[in-house]
Amino acid sequence: MKTKFRQRQVSVAIAALFGSAALLAAPQILAAGKVAGKYVAGDFHNHTTCSDGSISIQKLVNKSMDSAWGLDWFVQAGHGGNGNRNCSLVEDESLATAEYPYVSGKTPNTTWADSIGKDKLKGLSGGASGTGNMWRWQSLQEVQYQVMEYLSELKNQPLILGLESVVAGHEHTSMSIITGQMPYGSQTAVPLNVPGYTPLGTYVAAGNATALAQWSYCFDRGDTDTSRGNITGTATGNNWNCSVTGSANASNASWNTTAQKLMPASGTGTGDRGHYKTVEAVKWMTENHPNGSYYVPAHLERAGPFNPDGNNGFNIEHLRNLNNAAPTVAFGMETQPGHGASANRGEYQPKRNNFGTGNFDIGGGTKVNVDSAGGTTYGGTGVYGSVVGGVWDALLGEGRNFWFFASSDWHNRGAFGPDDRRSTQDFLPGEYQRNYTMVRNNGDKLRPQTIVDGLRTGNNFAASGQLIDRMAFIACASYPGIGKRTDAAVEALALTAATNNTDIDVSGCATMGEKLVVRPGAEIVVSIVVRDPSGANFSPYTFPNPSLKQIDVDQPLNMPVLHHVDLIRGMVSGYKTPGTAGYSGEWPRNTNWLATDGTTASLAVVPAAAKNTTAGVIKTFSGEGATPSWTPVSVAGGTMLKMTYRIPAVSASQYVRIRGTNLPASVPYETDASGNPLSDLYTNAGDTTKLRIPCTTTGTVLTGDAIDGCPAHMAVVSGQKMVSYDVAAWADLWFYSNPIYIQVNGSTTVAGVK
Amino acid sequence: MSTTPQHVTAAIGQATSKGHGHRFATWMREPLLHFMVLGVLLFAADHFLFAREDDPRTITIGAQVDQEAKQTFKAARGRDPNAEELTALRKVWLDNEVLYREGLALQVDKGDTGIRERVIFKALSIVDANLKRPAPDDKVLRDWFEKRRSKYDEPTRFDFQEAVLTDDNTQVAAQAFAQALNAGNPGDAKAGLRVFKGRPKANVLQSYGAEFAKALEESPPGEWRAQMTRDGWRVIQLTALTPGKPAVFENLHGVVLQDWTDAVMAEQRSAAVDALAKKYTLRVEGEAK
Repeated sequence: MKTKFRQRQVSVAIAALFGSAALLAAPQILAAGKVAGKYVAGDFHNHTTCSDGSISIQKLVNKSMDSAWGLDWFVQAGHGGNGNRNCSLVEDESLATAEYPYVSGKTPNTTWADSIGKDKLKGLSGGASGTGNMWRWQSLQEVQYQVMEYLSELKNQPLILGLESVVAGHEHTSMSIITGQMPYGSQTAVPLNVPGYTPLGTYVAAGNATALAQWSYCFDRGDTDTSRGNITGTATGNNWNCSVTGSANASNASWNTTAQKLMPASGTGTGDRGHYKTVEAVKWMTENHPNGSYYVPAHLERAGPFNPDGNNGFNIEHLRNLNNAAPTVAFGMETQPGHGASANRGEYQPKRNNFGTGNFDIGGGTKVNVDSAGGTTYGGTGVYGSVVGGVWDALLGEGRNFWFFASSDWHNRGAFGPDDRRSTQDFLPGEYQRNYTMVRNNGDKLRPQTIVDGLRTGNNFAASGQLIDRMAFIACASYPGIGKRTDAAVEALALTAATNNTDIDVSGCATMGEKLVVRPGAEIVVSIVVRDPSGANFSPYTFPNPSLKQIDVDQPLNMPVLHHVDLIRGMVSGYKTPGTAGYSGEWPRNTNWLATDGTTASLAVVPAAAKNTTAGVIKTFSGEGATPSWTPVSVAGGTMLKMTYRIPAVSASQYVRIRGTNLPASVPYETDASGNPLSDLYTNAGDTTKLRIPCTTTGTVLTGDAIDGCPAHMAVVSGQKMVSYDVAAWADLWFYSNPIYIQVNGSTTVAGVK
Repeated sequence: MSTTPQHVTAAIGQATSKGHGHRFATWMREPLLHFMVLGVLLFAADHFLFAREDDPRTITIGAQVDQEAKQTFKAARGRDPNAEELTALRKVWLDNEVLYREGLALQVDKGDTGIRERVIFKALSIVDANLKRPAPDDKVLRDWFEKRRSKYDEPTRFDFQEAVLTDDNTQVAAQAFAQALNAGNPGDAKAGLRVFKGRPKANVLQSYGAEFAKALEESPPGEWRAQMTRDGWRVIQLTALTPGKPAVFENLHGVVLQDWTDAVMAEQRSAAVDALAKKYTLRVEGEAK
């Protein structure tokens, strides 16, 4: 049958075609259908008296959520293993609640044995004749979760229970499984009902943390319990089995039949056996809780490179292994560690790690301990995340979903009490470092699931010292002709998004953690809007920033100003194949990377597997010059800075990311001539011979929250106070975005992002 | 950290009882005397603290405890505690004091780096509190200033800009870019513009190297030039050069006085710690590998 079109029908069709083209050319009216959400600040790595922190859960929750620097969401995550303190107890009456009152004569340092009694302790070495320690699995399942759920309900705050796992084959990881936690609405409440469980008080939680507790039993290196989560010497309790579908399980030499879990032997090969167990751990999470869990290696450079015969750091191949095995779970790294005020920032330090026979050979048969990977942090960030073209860019260059995160790792304030504003060790959650995560809650309360979903997407930026508190970072495709987008149009989208503290929802545009699929020849319009908040930040120091004072810039330490933003681009070349040469490679150890004078080698010494030499800064924005490259826009709460860069016609898949700082390029002992952060060796009081930046302001108020002179606790060299501890941290601020991928049709597929 | 009291008393007694004016004045300028006096004061502080522990079974709840408890409570709850709550807070303090004393008795502070740091910090504060601020002397100050003149001289300063290159930072690319900039292109035509104002020569030397600093010093202001630095070619424009100036003591008298005072106090602090260290036997077992 032939269909004959009349002239009018053809003209109508042409008109319709032009109409649809016009719609395509007007992207702001075509939404991508995202659920509405906001960027919200949180912390997922911190410690209480449940493990080795200095204050109770209640006090830490109050400090983190209620103080002037309160966070929007909070995950409490102490170490795996066991502990002897009853962390349901509070310090004093001011922290008492109806369900967890202050108990006269008891504090959070009171032991389980001296409070609930040793007979309540379960598992191996539990019971009346046991050690007095409670396994973390019991603590999570029967104590910590109940306190957290109670506080969440009482205070109407989004709280989650997590864990800093002591990792088999490696050091530590921030993780959680939220299944069962904080049920609400139509979700079925599942109160804990394990045989032998008796609540500590009258509070009966509606939910449970059994999934997290089981994982802790099954996969934490510190958990050497073999009871299967049962009452000591009985088969009463959880009777957990830790097998993973499709894995060797009992066929593996490390399998312990009694414990029903992998228990790798120590000695030669510990690291390799442990890493195997850890990959099994993330597989288990994917199998059982694919959308309800996360696994983010913590301060992953601190313990040095991977040690096949010990439990030390992570090389890039281990990050690849984890992400390959569990892409929805192992989706990032905490490469901006906590412990920001420590003598050695982040507790990263040269010669920190004893690898035994694997120690670093300095020649002549002499061996020394192995440095943290990279030796130190760089502007407070580990070498994996801070070096342009390094490990992170290598992972992004594969097109992986592998994101940048920061944490507080709060334990204590070193030489000061927890209520002091000064610190020689840690900052409280929210005080210094923050993850700003896009949580798509569609107007609902923030809840564990939407928070974890937000973390997983990578739509997250991290900032220290409140350098910025808003960000819109977007990339839009622009084609010649009717598909053209102007810089101004894209910048307007970004400004609207930042003003509303949200992202964009526009077809043909993408933001952090997303990929923009374009045709070859598309121009990419990258717009950035950040807010430099007005007023003072949370630093107690009002005297001039001593780092900036070196270049005669007089800027109060508590009123930092964003100096510039770097736009970084790298090319995407696809996933590396396990077992090939490009898959594995250790970051150069010790002086092969960080010389004793604080200078570093170049990427030339980094193995191909651990670098992406296509990555580089393609644009630096600032307010400098006759024609500043960003435009300030005054808004409530600060100044929005808007800036745009147009990437010429693209032919290959790539990604863009941004970073920014309060420090210009070439600030002695802080930044190099290209604006990269230098090693923090020069401000680490762990080796006072390397301190270089004097702090010369003599003040009259040296305590409290408005300290106007270099404080007494700073390291002193030859009579001169030197920038160190918390002053070093407040002097040197950075933010990092996660990447936006641009996948060019016909080029490499960005496989890590759907 | 105390000095044997008998020794200190004897030394002071010797200096004052002989009554010889000139020798007395000489003694008074004697650093050893200062250290001995410091020792006495340190001993007094130590004795005071120790004396409190002489009666370990007595615990006094004073006004300071109440004040601290009230402040803590108010910070958490936004109001003063009532009588019942204050009693509870006192009990918390008492419990903590008991635990503190018991903990010390059990030596749980041993091996704890956090506690060690705090004790060191407090001990140093006591040392600091007892340092004697030296009397200023213009001749001493001037000599001290002259020996450290380089610290006070106003260095040569550079105002300059860098037009940042993109991927290609070869000499050819840098020269071509410099030429384009001199022909009128804006400085941020490529990756952006970095602006440096009033950077002292030492900063330039450290960040870019001697060859660059020399070239910059010889550059005609306003001209873009391709210049080699220690980490590659850069495109730079000197915008202004401010020659260095020797410092004038009289203009900096207050600053020098403060610096000199800090330095002398630091010497005193080191000497005081050294004096305390004398009662210990040092045994070095070799560097950690």
